[in-house]
Order: sequence, then C-alpha cells, then structure tokens
Amino acid sequence: MNKQIQESDFPNPEGHWELYWLPHQAMVRRTRRLASRIKLLKLEMSTKAAFSYFPGQFIQLSVFGYGEAPISICSSPENSNVFELCIRDAGNLTHAAHDLEPGDRAGVRGPFGHGFPMNQLKGKNILVIAGGIGIAPLRSLIQTTMANPGDYGGISVFYGAKKPADLLFIDELENLNAEDRLNLSTIVDEPDRQWPGRTGVVTDPLHEFKIGDPENTAAVIAGPPVMYRFVLMKLLEKEIPEDQIYFTLERRFECGMGKCGHCRLDDVYVCRDGPVFSYSDLRDRREFNEIKQDED
Amino acid sequence: MTYRTISITNLNRLFEYIIESKDLFAPKEREDQPGFYRFDRILKPDEITLSYGTTTIPPKAFFFPPEETLFTFSLSDEGAKLNPELEEAPFVLAGVHPCDLAAIEALDLALGQPPADHRWLFNRRRAVIIGVDCTPDEYCFCGSVNTLNSRNPADLFLTPVSGGYLVEIPTARGLELLSSVETFEAGPEHLEEAETRRKEKTAQLTAAFNRTSADIAGVLESGGFGDIWKELASRCYSCGSCNLVCPTCFCFHTDDRFELNLTSGHRFRSWDSCQFLEFALVTGGHNFRGLRRNRVRHRWRCKFLHLYKEFGRVFCTGCGRCSRACTADINMADVINRLVHESENHSETRPGKEG
Ligand SMILES: Cc1cc2nc3c(=O)[nH]c(=O)nc-3n(C[C@H](O)[C@H](O)[C@H](O)COP(=O)(O)OP(=O)(O)OC[C@H]3O[C@@H](n4cnc5c(N)ncnc54)[C@H](O)[C@@H]3O)c2cc1C
Ligand code: SF4
Ligand code: SF4
Ligand code: FES
Repeated sequence: MNKQIQESDFPNPEGHWELYWLPHQAMVRRTRRLASRIKLLKLEMSTKAAFSYFPGQFIQLSVFGYGEAPISICSSPENSNVFELCIRDAGNLTHAAHDLEPGDRAGVRGPFGHGFPMNQLKGKNILVIAGGIGIAPLRSLIQTTMANPGDYGGISVFYGAKKPADLLFIDELENLNAEDRLNLSTIVDEPDRQWPGRTGVVTDPLHEFKIGDPENTAAVIAGPPVMYRFVLMKLLEKEIPEDQIYFTLERRFECGMGKCGHCRLDDVYVCRDGPVFSYSDLRDRREFNEIKQDED
Repeated sequence: MTYRTISITNLNRLFEYIIESKDLFAPKEREDQPGFYRFDRILKPDEITLSYGTTTIPPKAFFFPPEETLFTFSLSDEGAKLNPELEEAPFVLAGVHPCDLAAIEALDLALGQPPADHRWLFNRRRAVIIGVDCTPDEYCFCGSVNTLNSRNPADLFLTPVSGGYLVEIPTARGLELLSSVETFEAGPEHLEEAETRRKEKTAQLTAAFNRTSADIAGVLESGGFGDIWKELASRCYSCGSCNLVCPTCFCFHTDDRFELNLTSGHRFRSWDSCQFLEFALVTGGHNFRGLRRNRVRHRWRCKFLHLYKEFGRVFCTGCGRCSRACTADINMADVINRLVHESENHSETRPGKEG
C-alpha cells in the first residue's frame, strides 16, 4: 500500500549545504562613491574554493547583524575571486554595506540564479537597455562582450536615469563609445544646467534606433519594474523575437535559492529560475502581466 | 507490511522506555484551553491523549520551528565566526494524524529538493514518527486530497482496536523501536476492526471537494475567478493565520539580531505568510502583490496549481486548520467548490484568463 521510506531516500544532509546556507567571508578591497546614495565595493573572497559566476547572477550579501540582500555582480567574470558590487543605500543592509571600509569583511552566499544566456547572445547584435541602477548587472554583460569582441555583433547601450548624476559608470561607457567598441545613448528625466545630452525616457532613443536585422538582434533589459512594459512594447514593435528579449526581474528575495517563497511569480521562483527570463517565458504568466502599484 | 497489536499498558511502557533516553513529543491537552491539544514535551505517558482533535500548530514545527537560529555569529578583527548550531539529539514524535504525515511527506519534497534545506533534513533524520488514526470533524476534507489513509513517513502507525492498538510497521526504525516491548501478531479480526473503523471515519467526513484534487489545478489554470477573489478579499484581514497554521506552508522570513554587546548575534528564520501586505514588497515601494485579492488568489494557486505542477501533489492535506483559524470564516473546501462551480457554470461569460 505505502512505499517504505528509507534512509537513502533522503538527500544527504551532510552534503554541501554550507555552500548554500552559510555566508562565506569576503574582504573589502576598495570602495568608491559613484553617486549620492550609490557606492561601488570591490570584494575578494577569502575562501580558497573557486568563485565563478556569469553576468546577470547575484549574490546574497551579508553584513552580520544587519541581514542580507540580493546584489548583482557588476564586474566581468574574467577575474572571478575579485568582484564588484554597485550598491544603492536603500535600507538596513545596504546602508550598513555603505559603511564598509577597505579591510572590513562581509559575508557572501552564492552566486545564485541564472544569468544572461551568453551562448544564445553569441553572434547577435545586442541592445542593452538600462534604467538607473539596472546598469549594474548589465555592466558585467558589457564587460564580457568587450573582452570577447569577436563573439558578439554590435553592442548598443541605451541608458536612462533620473538625473545626470545618477548615470553610473558613465566615464567607462563614454570611453568605450569613443573607441567605437559600443554605441551609447544616454538620456535623463530631470536635466540640470550642465547636462549637454538628451532629456526624456529610455524608449526615446530606442524608438529612433534603426534595427537592420531584428531576427539577429537580442535585447537585455534591467531597470525599475515600471520601465519594462514601455521598453517591451517598443521592442515588439521593432520585431525583435520574443525569445530574444531578456529581462532581469526584481522581486523580494530572502533566501535566493527557491526556498523562502518571497520571490514567487506564478509557478517560478525568480531567484532560482531567473532572475533573467526571456519574454517568451514570461508572456503567459499572470503575475508578470499584472504589474500594478495599488494596495488595498 | 507487518501488523502487530499492542495493549494500552504496553504502549505506555513503550512511551516510558522512550522517555528514559530521548525527548518524546505527543498531543497533550492544553491547560489554558481544555478540550484543545498541542504537541508538547511528554514527561509521563499519562499526559498523552492519542484520541485528540487537530492541533492548531502542525507537527511540522518539530522539523521547521516557528522561529529558529540559522547560525550564530561573533565578530572580531579576523572577521565573523559562524556556528550553524545544528541539533543532533534523536527524538520521538508520537500521535501524528494521517493528514499531518502527508504534510511532512510533502515538505520532504519541497524542502528536500536541491539545494536541500539541511535543517529540515537534519531534524527529520533525528526523529522517529509514530502516527495514529483520527476522528474527523466538520472541517476535515482529507477524503478529497488523498490523505485519508496516509502513512508515509511514519515509522509506526497506530489504529485503535479493542484492547489496544493495531500497529503498522512501515520502517525498520519502527520495528526496532517496537521490539523494546511485548506485542502480538495481529489476527484477521484486528485488521477487520481497523478496516471498519476507517469506513466509519470516511462516512463521518462532511466537507468535500466536488472534484478530485488533480482537477483543481485545471480549474485554477483556466482562471476567470475575479469576482470570487474580490469577494474573499473583501472579507479577508490579511492576518496570515491561514498560512501560519498550515502544515504544508513553508515560506519563511530571515533577519539578523545583535546581542546587546553588538559583537555577536544570530540570523534567524521564522514562518512567514504570503497574505501579509509586505510579503512581496521591494525597495522603492513597489509591491508585487499589493492587491489583497491577488494575495488571496495566490494562496489557492500556489497550493493547488503551482506546487501541484512542480511536485505532482497538491500542497493541502485537508486538515482544515486554515478554515478553523480564519476569523473571516473563509473555508478552504467551500472556496474550492465555489471555484469549481464557477468554472462549470459560467465558462462562456467569464472574462478571459484574468483572475
Ligand atoms: C536579483 C536582484 C539583484 C539586485 N541587484 C542590486 C544591485 O546590484 N544593487 C543594489 O543596490 N540593489 C540591488 N537589488 C535590490 C536590493 O536587493 C534591495 O535594495 C535590498 O534588498 C534592500 O535591502 P535592505 O536591507 O537595504 O533594505 P530593507 O531595510 O530590507 O528595506 C528597504 C525598503 O524595502 C521596503 N521594506 C523592506 N522590508 C519591509 C518590511 N518588512 N515592511 C515594510 N517595508 C519593507 C521598504 O520600502 C524599505 O524602505 C537587487 C535585487 C534583486 C532581486
Ligand atoms: S486566516 Fe482568513 S482572514 Fe486571515 S489571512 Fe487567512 S483567509 Fe484572510
Ligand atoms: S490549506 Fe488549510 S486545509 Fe489545506 S493543509 Fe493547509 S491548513 Fe490544512
Ligand atoms: S528568494 Fe527565497 S525563494 Fe526566491
């Protein structure tokens, strides 16, 4: 009548659980302020074990006593034991992370999640569309494409922010643009007197952009939830195939590995099955289509 | 499967034997609420009530406590020292009803799935579980979700028969434990008596789904229940009790706590509820389930559709705890039947896939 449960039916609890559940130590090597509430932290893993990751993956950063938060790795995976995080001071953990100084230690779990599909992107022209701090995971992707230029087609970066001072990594992006290694369009919502560039939203330069061969073009998008719908409409209008449009989604993460339930979007865990999804994966999921702000 | 019988006296001897060397947890009448029971630490066998009504807190709490320390930390110049503080001592959990056994089995799937929840697995491994057959009340609907006669993962299972209990022995650990006291081979009359008892129990169930639990997934998938979710949301208080008493819910919240010295502390996790307003709130104020009707809908879709798709079983055991706990009188079986009814009767008029 009943299948007998055996000891061997259990996954071995002594397995490698610490890798997932216990933060590992990382040493802060450098810190740099990028904007009024945004800092760049360079961390080095103190563990000997190899730490490798893909663009678009995230770690769970701990400052003991202040909790944990998901943060995208924003540097290129080429030198993976040393990596960078771009952190906006937005609450408990991120505030404590801003107080870290070189020589201080933080905790790191991960890397977790599925990053950008670098293999599927090979040979394609890539539209990189960033809103605000969404540039963080995309910087890792940009650096990877820059390090392997023969593997990808043209890279076009569309980067929108609220104010000129909120455009992060702008020097390195402009240098790459000047060297013709990518094509950069920046735009801000609220310009100041010095701002020489465009005013508006990120869909404006995207609208004007001529896409020769949509079938051979992919788009990667990271930014605030409200941006997604408008960008998506524009990309579909330009006939980019639905399975070549990739979003990295934000949700509330607590465990980062498909256990705590906070990041659920219908039947997927955004942390475990994403955070990067293609639009074709998301299209029919109810909770993706109802991005509403109201509360009751 | 082998069947034995055990007398009340010998069962009490067994409990005494357990208490001598291990912690024993079993249903005990609440002093603060006579007529209600909870799983509690047992010091003397006569504290145990094996014929008890469903407890408010499900026995999953022994493997996944309402709040637990994930690790302690102490900070120094060399960094943080972490201690995962895993318990090793074996214990026995006795008096678990079939539906609650099914819930533990369901959580073995969800939490055992890689990367496995090691705290769950460690705790599961240190326990011997003794199940006992139950008497349903008007909230129970185990007959609709295939848990009426669940035995996994019990090591021993007791059914009351004249003169004591019929003992099913599903595992080697159960057999080993049972061998410490005198038992007798069960005769056909004992098996028959137990069978009759099960039939009576089935007949006693009043709450039921109008469709099989497997069909409910399809019903929910088809959608178009906006009006039902709205009506439920107009009554629901988002108090989260339904999740907190549920034996299969496994969502949790984590945070850190410092000791007063600010150089040591711990990270804990505690049971959480998808009905709480902040559950899906992120920095910047965006709330992915800010609408109460979407939170209400999520509870049904998670249990009967999403987890069903992932694990091939619904994450509801028919225990009725959520219905008993709800101050807004939202009843699990009633809601399922409203959904079924709506999907059968209004399929043409229902608005697309929404809701
Ligand atoms: C995949 C992913 C990648 C990310 N990458 C980055 C990155 O590279 N850089 C970056 O800066 N951020 C990133 N984030 C966002 C970052 O994780 C959040 O800003 C961070 O979790 C905030 O944590 P905190 O402890 O600082 O804030 P908290 O103190 O937890 O809260 C901050 C805000 O959240 C809300 N809030 C949180 N908890 C509650 C509650 N219980 N009740 C009510 N309101 C609450 C409030 O609005 C509060 O102001 C990423 C998020 C995800 C999911
Ligand atoms: S117990 Fe009832 S009122 Fe409370 S959240 Fe659940 S359904 Fe709503
Ligand atoms: S949903 Fe309700 S009836 Fe089903 S297992 Fe959970 S508490 Fe019991
Ligand atoms: S963050 Fe815990 S399940 Fe995704």
